[in-house]
Amino acid sequence: MAHPLSALRRGSAPGWLGLGARLVVGGVMIAAGLIKLPDPAASIEAVRAFELVPASLVEPIGYLLPPLEVVVGMALVVGLMTRGAAVISAVLLVAFTIGIASAWARGLEIDCGCFGDGGADPDAASQYPWEIARDVGLLALSVFLVRLRSSRLALDSLLFRPPIAPVPTAALDDLNEGSLP
Amino acid sequence: MSNKPGAPKGPAKVRAKEQRAAELRAEAERKRRAENLKRGAIVGGLLVLVVVAAIFISSRSGEDLVASDVGSSDYGLVVGEPGAPREVVIYEDFLCPICGVLEEGAGEGLAAAAAAGTVVVDYRPIAILNRFGPYSTDSLNAFLVVQQEAGDEVAKEFHDLLFADQPSEDGPFPDDDWLVEKAVEAGAEEAAVRPGIEGGSRMADVEAATQEAEDAGVQGTPTVVLDGEAFRDGKSWDEIAENLLEEIS
Repeated sequence: MAHPLSALRRGSAPGWLGLGARLVVGGVMIAAGLIKLPDPAASIEAVRAFELVPASLVEPIGYLLPPLEVVVGMALVVGLMTRGAAVISAVLLVAFTIGIASAWARGLEIDCGCFGDGGADPDAASQYPWEIARDVGLLALSVFLVRLRSSRLALDSLLFRPPIAPVPTAALDDLNEGSLP
Repeated sequence: MSNKPGAPKGPAKVRAKEQRAAELRAEAERKRRAENLKRGAIVGGLLVLVVVAAIFISSRSGEDLVASDVGSSDYGLVVGEPGAPREVVIYEDFLCPICGVLEEGAGEGLAAAAAAGTVVVDYRPIAILNRFGPYSTDSLNAFLVVQQEAGDEVAKEFHDLLFADQPSEDGPFPDDDWLVEKAVEAGAEEAAVRPGIEGGSRMADVEAATQEAEDAGVQGTPTVVLDGEAFRDGKSWDEIAENLLEEIS
């Protein structure tokens, strides 16, 4: 309890795996978001290229995705609100996977726009399986993070107070001696 | 703590203390949860705020499209009568695939409406896809050469032919001979256009036209401006083309 960093030392092997998952998913999210952030017009057209979203939602989603990816990615990397960020990344990855699978099924030849660009891509069909595999892998890591609850080197362990440890028997002995107020 | 008279003694006293300790623990646990909830709400709120602010900034910069009147550019191709009830400005790149989709969907309809006098269209080809290869620039240079040497009507035909036979962004890209061939097919004289197409005689204007569009706030192609406002209504560019024709009819 004494040193604030003692909280960082909690957890075991899954804790380190959690850190790894955070860095992978977070790193990919940050990269994907940062590439798209300076060019919202391209992001909007990448969303439109899927021909899945109603016309009125194309622009809002095109504007939303890049900053959302950057913030969720950064939260994962530093371990801030980790479970919430992992839930959002899982939801996004489910949506991306459905989008790519549906584009593939409808015979659309589009660049997924995952890392900028977007729009038509004559070579798209050969990319779809790998894109889906990548997103499903990242989705699995996100779900793992949601279930893990806490991982190593996360800001969450400084932000949030851990559950109070059960009173050790020694304290009960103290009780018998009437040391508690 | 001293024993008061009448206070329970022995095992009863221990039980009471244990119960008191359990209550304190429950109280501390409740406080901890409340505190964590508060901290989570604050940090979560801040993160949401960052996203909202970023969306606000990026969507504001997207609204900077300067409404430019039909015929106001030195590099445009005006189709139809100035003064028609509806004005359409279209920025496009000859290499941009969705510009091809827009042309396929709305090109003929716009030409018909322009001929009928209900709309005047200002095509402003620009070259922003140089990262894929030279075609973006070469095709625009050829377009400007054809327009200069053979006039607007032939240039419009050349424009339509380029989109009808558009190369992929990934290449292979047609050469100058192909551009000359298309220009001749559109109605230009080979001797008049070949030197300009091969020599890149309008390359300075290619850059100027593209810069002018960027200054007007054009962020990508195609950008359709209907009566001074960006027109992007549709879940696909097929649908936008359809909606545009419906809007002006």
